[in-house]
Formats: sequence, structure tokens, C-alpha cells
Amino acid sequence: MNETALKELLYKIADDQLILGHRNSEWTGFGPLLEEDIAFSSMAQDKVGQSHALYQMLQTLGEKDPDTVAFMRNADQFHNCILVELPNGEYDFSLIRHFLYDTAEAIRFEMLSESSYQPLADISKKIRAELRYHTLHANTWVKQLGSATEESISRLQRSLDSAMPYALGMFEESPFEKDLISSKIFGGEQALKERWIKKIEAVISQTQLRLPDWKALQPVTGGRTGKHSEYLQPLLDEMSEVFKIDPTAEW
Amino acid sequence: MYGGGNTFEGIKTDSIAQEDPVKLAEFEARIERGEKIEPTDWMPALYRKQLIRMIEQHAHSEIIGALPEGTWITRAPGFKRKISLMAKVQDEVGHGQLLYSAAETLGKTREQMIDDLITGKSKYSNIFNYPAFTWADSCFISWLVDAGAIVNQLANAKGSYGPYCRALDRICAEESFHLKYGHHCVIYLATGTQKQRDMFQEAINRWWTPMMHFFGPSDKISAHTEVLMRWKVKMSSNDDMRNQFLDMYVPKIWELGFTIPDENLKKNPETGRWDYTEPDWEEFKRVINGDGPCNKERLEVRRIAEERGRWVRQALKKAQTKYTVPLA
Amino acid sequence: MNSLDPRVNRLPVVGKPGEISPKAPLDQLGTFEVFVQPKEGKPFQHEGIVHAPDVEMAFVLAKEAFTRRFMCVSLYVCDTRNVYVSPLTEATANAYDLISDTVEKTGGKTSFEIYHLPKRGKQHVHAGTVQAGSPQEAMAEAKRMFKNDKTVYNIWAVRTSDIRFTSAEEKDLWLTLSEKKFRDASDYKGGDKLKEFLERNNA
Repeated sequence: MNETALKELLYKIADDQLILGHRNSEWTGFGPLLEEDIAFSSMAQDKVGQSHALYQMLQTLGEKDPDTVAFMRNADQFHNCILVELPNGEYDFSLIRHFLYDTAEAIRFEMLSESSYQPLADISKKIRAELRYHTLHANTWVKQLGSATEESISRLQRSLDSAMPYALGMFEESPFEKDLISSKIFGGEQALKERWIKKIEAVISQTQLRLPDWKALQPVTGGRTGKHSEYLQPLLDEMSEVFKIDPTAEW
Repeated sequence: MYGGGNTFEGIKTDSIAQEDPVKLAEFEARIERGEKIEPTDWMPALYRKQLIRMIEQHAHSEIIGALPEGTWITRAPGFKRKISLMAKVQDEVGHGQLLYSAAETLGKTREQMIDDLITGKSKYSNIFNYPAFTWADSCFISWLVDAGAIVNQLANAKGSYGPYCRALDRICAEESFHLKYGHHCVIYLATGTQKQRDMFQEAINRWWTPMMHFFGPSDKISAHTEVLMRWKVKMSSNDDMRNQFLDMYVPKIWELGFTIPDENLKKNPETGRWDYTEPDWEEFKRVINGDGPCNKERLEVRRIAEERGRWVRQALKKAQTKYTVPLA
Repeated sequence: MNSLDPRVNRLPVVGKPGEISPKAPLDQLGTFEVFVQPKEGKPFQHEGIVHAPDVEMAFVLAKEAFTRRFMCVSLYVCDTRNVYVSPLTEATANAYDLISDTVEKTGGKTSFEIYHLPKRGKQHVHAGTVQAGSPQEAMAEAKRMFKNDKTVYNIWAVRTSDIRFTSAEEKDLWLTLSEKKFRDASDYKGGDKLKEFLERNNA
């Protein structure tokens, strides 16, 4: 097994989950409907919890403990895609991002539940079950708001158009792509992306939203190699503000 | 998180004289027997009005109460605290959801209640008009404001109105997590570095007066509420609740080596009750009436959340679904 | 706004402070009743309501509003307007005694779910399923099947077809619920740390 390849895979997934969980938690208490405030918060908690589990797995592979890894790295050491670090915007953007990301995440963990790295396969079965709710939630909401009022449709359309290039950045290939596939750790970004497009099309076709021409889109990449937007470092500074008052203290 | 506060200020009991005496007697007999009142039962107008007022204030206190602790939601130190604080603040929103639903069974819509909150017509627990300056303030709230709320909520859970009691049973079960989480955070600050200890001591110094205000004005100066006690709307006097809180938590604060900014605070061996300096009730009134450090911000945040969410709620509206009063 | 909360500082400027801009008379949604099954083999019980535009969305919203902690293996929801409610009784009066035994039997039968209120202030609990042509007939049928010497204070009947159930594939929605210990008081044990601190201080 190529351990470097495995670690790179785990880091990018865990970093995605942590950063998106953090972003989505900003909605707690500010949501558009009390019930949705609760639902969105639960999914943010799930994401942060999932990232913690993967950082723990990285620790068993010799990396530092989850708190140090999450709270003490700088932006250029993070492997998340740029999509998850973008500011929340209005609810339409947060919802579209949740839909695009969680659809991919659900497929990713379905693929990983057959990983040759057994600890990853085991945890993926659990995460996959949690994500069943996330995709049910995302699909239900997108179908509702994507075929409701003029305002809701145009808002979702704008967010879909602006998020899509970043969403394609989720599938930025790792330098170890071939290793991961041949060692059956992970089936690869290309396979994931193809399945993702089908799922996205299946939901969007039930709404009045339009998908952009896939071929004309230019993916926004760089996140997987630590090249981020201007939004990540301030997010990390805020997240670690208290922790860094005294990183050796127990909080 | 709700301590009672000023719920029962300025009630008028004149309307009771106009109630049907037979129905009123049946109603009072049911409460006397220890049976709960359910939404479809006949009830005196004053009972309905005061319950709406109390449950609504309680619900507002939950969703506004989510804001001071929410101040630290993006900055909680470490994974464990990060997830716990998210879940804790989420619970406050959830409590609001449960309580608005209970109040709705009495005939006021959630939307009307939220409008009344935003326009300042109805109140919420005063303590949330104070700022959470540091992480330690959020720990103070999670531990001690929740502890105070539990004193009030456990008492109210034995009240007479079925839907409110059901909501409170659920809420109190969740509050046990809040209390333990808050205490856990404080133990870590107390047993940590000098800087951590100082952070919490400063939080106590800032929050003690609002904490004493939390249960509402002293019995000596607060409105008489015998009829609401008899109807099991108000379950305990303000001073009794305050005393119960002091009895349970002052020793725990002292045990951790912290001081409380009231040199007269001590348990009186003769009365078995706590002596303390009366907090400034003029400040309490001033803050309730809008002149606290954070009143404007709290209401603004809530208003902006409502306004930003309006397109969502309007898009969800469908001709075939109509608002209905909840059953229970 | 100049707030201590960085999230608040990022909020956009919307409308005017203290004012609610003109809006439709009521942008409040429909009301849906939520029932939860805590364990396999246990009956469903009523847990509360959610506001939602339709039964599908109600299901999605109810899941986290009512089953994010404690035990849950299944959940369902129905529109409040689809719940038929018997009179409410008190003391020793049984609500079933107020249900007429003789109702006009109608043609095609469908199934109804029946719920009992075992005590004022408690929750309605699922009692069973009956076949009937109308809600009145369902109540009468429930009386024939479920009435016993235990007093029931209120009865609900809901057409089974009006309920949005948890599907078989959705059962694993609660698979990791028991692992979410961070929502339980038992996950916050500070006793040892506290004891050690007190011993050190008293020494």
C-alpha cells in the first residue's frame, strides 16, 4: 500500500468536511426557518465529526493529533477544494453548495466503502448512512426551491452558475491517482465525477433550473495542492483564535 | 434558557369576574386534581393570555439565547468544543421551535410571535442583552445560565398546561447535556493555566448581576400572582428560585476557587436561605425596556435572519397547505 | 453592526432596524404532526409538530427536529388537517364512551391508524390499525377493537395513506445516532480532573 497516497486522500476529504462543516455552522441561529436552522446545523456537526474521524485515522498513520492538525496548520497546508471555503453568501448559495458537495461526498463514501484499506472501508459504511440524510435533505430542498417562485428559481440558478466551476474543482486529481486506483484504495476522481454528473442531472431535471454546458466550464482547481482563495486563511485564523491563546492549554 | 424574569409584571385580574362560574369551577377542580389542561379545554381568558405571554417569552429567550453563545461558535477551541457548542446552540433553536409550537396551540401563530419579538412588543430573558466578551463568557452561560434555567423549567414542567409541560419534559432532558457540557468547560478553565482561570473569573464578575436578575424582581417588589399560582401557571416565587439556584451552584463556584462579586453573599444558618446584596433592579428595568448593551444587536440579528429567510418561506408556500393550529 | 460575533459582522444590511418590511399576511407554512418509534417493537408516539410546505419536506425537517438524540428507529409525519380527533375527557371518563357504536357503514374501506392519549399531559401513542370507510367508522371500529378497562382520554384517527412513512431503505438514517455521544450529558465527565484539582488545593 502506498501510504503517502492514502494520507493525501484522507487529508483532502477531511479538510473538505472540516471547512464546509465550519462554514455551515455559521448558519446556526440565523437560518431561514427554525426547522431548517436545526437540520442545517446537524449536518454541519456531522461534517465536523466525520473530519475528526478521518484525522484520527491519519493519526494512526503517524500524523499529529486531530486538534493540532485542524487548528494549527496554515491555509497552504490545507487540501480542501476551494468550493468549501467560499463565504456562505445567502441561503441559496449555501444550499446549492451543500447539494453539489454532498452529492459527490455520498458517492465518494459509497466507493470508499469498498476500499482495500479496511479501516477506511469500515468508517465509510457509517458515513454513507449519515450522508443518506444529507442528500435526501439537499434533493428535497433543491426540488422545492428550484421550481417555486421566480425569485427562488433565479436565486438558485445564479448560485448554481457561480458554484459550478468550483464544484468541478472537487475532482482535481491527486498526483497518486493511479496508485490509489491500482491498489483499490479509491476508484478515482474521474469515475466519481462521472457518477456525480448523472446524479446532479437527475435532480436538476426535476426543477426549472438549467445546468451549464459541462464542456464549456473551466474547473477552479488548486485547493488540493494548497493554493487557496483569499477566504481560507481568515477562516482558519478565526477558527483557531481561542485555541491559539495557548495551544498547550487544555480547553 | 429562561428564568421567568418579568413574565408576570402588571397583570390585571378583573376579567376573572366575567368568566362563567360553573366552567371556572370545573377548570379549577381539574387543576386541583392534578390533571393537565389540554388545548381544546375551556379556559379563562386570563389563563390563556398569561400562558401565551410566558411560553412566548420563553421561546424568544431560546432563539435570542442562541446568540450570545453563538458569538463563539466559529471560534470554539478544539474539535470536542466545536461540535459540542454547535449542538448546544442548535438545541436552543430547537427549544424555541418546541415552545413556539406549544404557544401556537393557544391560538397565536409563530409568525405573529416572531413579529412581536422583532418589533419589541414582547420580551425575552434580560440576561441575553449582555455581551459574551470571551470564550469564558460562553462557558458561564452554558453552565450557570442553563443551570438557572433548569431551576425554572423543572418547576414549570409541573405546571397545568399539557403542551407546555410536554415541551419542557423534552427540553429539560436536553438541558442536562448543556449543564454537564458547561461545567466540563469550566472545570477545564479552572484547572488550566492562570490565563484560563482569569478568563473565567472575569466572566463571573461580568455576569453575576444579570444572573441575579435572571429569576425576576424580588418578591417584595414584584406583582402579586396568587391566582396564577393556583392555576399552576407560575410555579415558584422569584426569590425561591433564586435561592434554589444559589444553594446548588454557589458552593460549586467556590469549590473551583473562584470568587463571586458580592461580599454579602452567604448562607444564613438561621433561615437556611442565602443572604445577598439586592442587585440593581433599576438596571434590570432599564435593560428590559431596551437600554442594555446588546438589545439592539440581538433584535437586529433576529430581524435580519427573518428578512433574509423570507424569500425561502414564501417560495415554500403552497396553495394546498394551510396553516393549522397544532393539536397538542 | 459592530459585534463581538464575527458572524454578525458579516451579515448583510437588510431593511431598517425595528421595522418589518411589508409582507404577505401570513408566510407561515402548514402544520404537520410528527410521530417517532423509539425502538423496534415499541409503538410510535406523537412528539410534536413542524411547519412545512408538504409532507415530504415535513419528514425531512422532522428528522433533525425530533430524532437527533435519544432512541429512534423510525419516523413518520402527516398533515394536521388529516387527523380526526375525538372529544377530550377527564377524571375517570373514557373518551370511547363518547363514540357512537352505530355509524353508517360505507362502501370501500381503507386503513386508519389509531392513537390513544393515556393520560392528560402525556403524548398520544399508537394503538393499532383499523379498516373503515370513514373517520367516524374508524373511531367506532377502534372502540370495538381497542377499548378495554384502561381509560383513554382522547383518540386520533389518521388515514394510513395520508402518512409519509420511513421507507425500508431509509432505515439507516439513524444508524450512527447512538454514536453521537456529544449530545449526551454522559459524554462530559470532568469528575477526575475536578477531584485532582481539589486534592491539590487542599494539600
